[in-house]
Amino acid sequence: MSASLGIATRSLRNVRRLPSAFIPALLMPVFQVVAFSGTYAGVTQIPGFPTDRSVNWYLPMAVTMGASFAGLGTGFSMIRDLQTGFYDRLRMAPTSRRQLLLGPYIAAWVRACIAVVLVTIFGFALGARPVGNGLGTFSLFIAGIGMATIGTGWGLGLAYRFRDMRAAAIMQLTLFLGLFLTDAQTPIPLMDGWLEYVARWNPLTQVLDVARIGFIDGIRGRDLLIGMLIMIAISAGAWLFAFTGLARLDD
Amino acid sequence: MTSTQSPIIASDLVRIFGSGEDEVRAVDGVNLEVTAGEVFGFLGPNGAGKSTTVRILTTLLKPSAGSASVAGYDIEVEADAVRRSIGVALQDAAIDPLMTGTELLRLQAVLYGIPRNAQHERAGELLERVGLSAAGDRRVGTYSGGMRRRLDLALALIHEPSVLFLDEPTTGLDPMSRMSLWEEIRRLNNDGTTVLLTTQYLEEADQLADRVAIIDNGKIVREGQPEALKTDVGAPTLLISVADDHVEPAREVLAQFGEARPTAEGTLGVGLTQGAGDVSNVVRALDAQGIVVEHLELRAPSLDDVFAEATGHRLEGAS
Repeated sequence: MSASLGIATRSLRNVRRLPSAFIPALLMPVFQVVAFSGTYAGVTQIPGFPTDRSVNWYLPMAVTMGASFAGLGTGFSMIRDLQTGFYDRLRMAPTSRRQLLLGPYIAAWVRACIAVVLVTIFGFALGARPVGNGLGTFSLFIAGIGMATIGTGWGLGLAYRFRDMRAAAIMQLTLFLGLFLTDAQTPIPLMDGWLEYVARWNPLTQVLDVARIGFIDGIRGRDLLIGMLIMIAISAGAWLFAFTGLARLDD
Repeated sequence: MTSTQSPIIASDLVRIFGSGEDEVRAVDGVNLEVTAGEVFGFLGPNGAGKSTTVRILTTLLKPSAGSASVAGYDIEVEADAVRRSIGVALQDAAIDPLMTGTELLRLQAVLYGIPRNAQHERAGELLERVGLSAAGDRRVGTYSGGMRRRLDLALALIHEPSVLFLDEPTTGLDPMSRMSLWEEIRRLNNDGTTVLLTTQYLEEADQLADRVAIIDNGKIVREGQPEALKTDVGAPTLLISVADDHVEPAREVLAQFGEARPTAEGTLGVGLTQGAGDVSNVVRALDAQGIVVEHLELRAPSLDDVFAEATGHRLEGAS
């Protein structure tokens, strides 16, 4: 475990020393929550829109987006470490491969916490209000960490496989597509055609439900459970994708 | 590792990259055995297969065929035990420029399981050993090439390994930094560390290595003690430069005194069968043909001659 913490500490220290690598990923979701909830304030007037506060709808999207990019950030750092050869140093150490992998995950979780807290603060400042007893805010946080876990595994797996900037492009494109092809911006009942079909079956829609349960009426405990299970399953798949990618570096 | 077992043994090591028409045999049946306490030089030009061999032996890359053991452990089956026993400084001094020297050493200490309370002391000792105490708290991005190499060496020594791999440790360094690193390598070896050193510098192999293996196109073409290899080449090499229109007649004259030797462009070389005593005869013969010699140099056999004799070409970047 100490090796993982050492690797994570290095990663977080480098964020402080090279903030330009992290700040855009932090500003992007803040910009989203500000811009979307302002620009689309009138969306709540559409019959069937599930909340009277547009920011309640867009805040969970921005949080999950920010958290996933905090995860992908470790993939970007990994590309740099692979290209400079620094990662060879870590691979040559008598440290288990699981610990090598856990280090970037820990760093991503810390970065995701920063992103989730910051975006949530902006959301509340812009008028977001939890429904019910407020425990849903905790669920928003859990969804953020889950998306960071998925983003980390996906980012690392691609970095290990491509070992260059091609991985960065694929990471961003796939995650953007994955999140935008959900009900991130528009509730499913208001969608039509193939977009509705894709959003309904996109598992990330269920993960967004986990993020939204405290801000939107009508999401039930069963939805939360399904969302959590899907999040765990995708996270496990992403970990496996990263783990097998790490093993491929020996080939 | 048993006391009788050599710390590095490779048997028929092969590494293939790509497939079909793109297939490259970077390492093509390498056999080597490095005995305890020696400095073993792995000499060859860029792309000869030195670094790939080192990457295999240090568990970074799996071999396509063959087997190897390092410090008595199989590199594939007991990779973790190999990693615990070796120190490695790779070709490009892969160190994070955003970190300080001390931070890097402490991270390395963590990775090698050195207890927390001993990490700081060990880092301090090593910084002092490589002459970087004053720069320990500076970011590595501000270090010179020589300082990076010394830090890289310190990182490789964090857990006091019994076997040290140094992949072109002095490439790109100025002569002073190179000499200083050579001193450190000698000191380590005197302390009992077995060293496998890859280099493309002949002088480096000559100065440091107890034995050398010359590798070209993935195959070891010569192996032995530097002096023995040079003696095997035998005759000294006479190098001459002549005007362009005299090259062919000069070549014919030189052929009377021994076998032609590969040389750099614009120079002719011959291994003098009768030794240095023949130089005056060569000059007289050239003069008799009206050939004006612009430059003449007699070289005792060097590792470059060994390399040239074994491969038919001179070592790239030979110093």
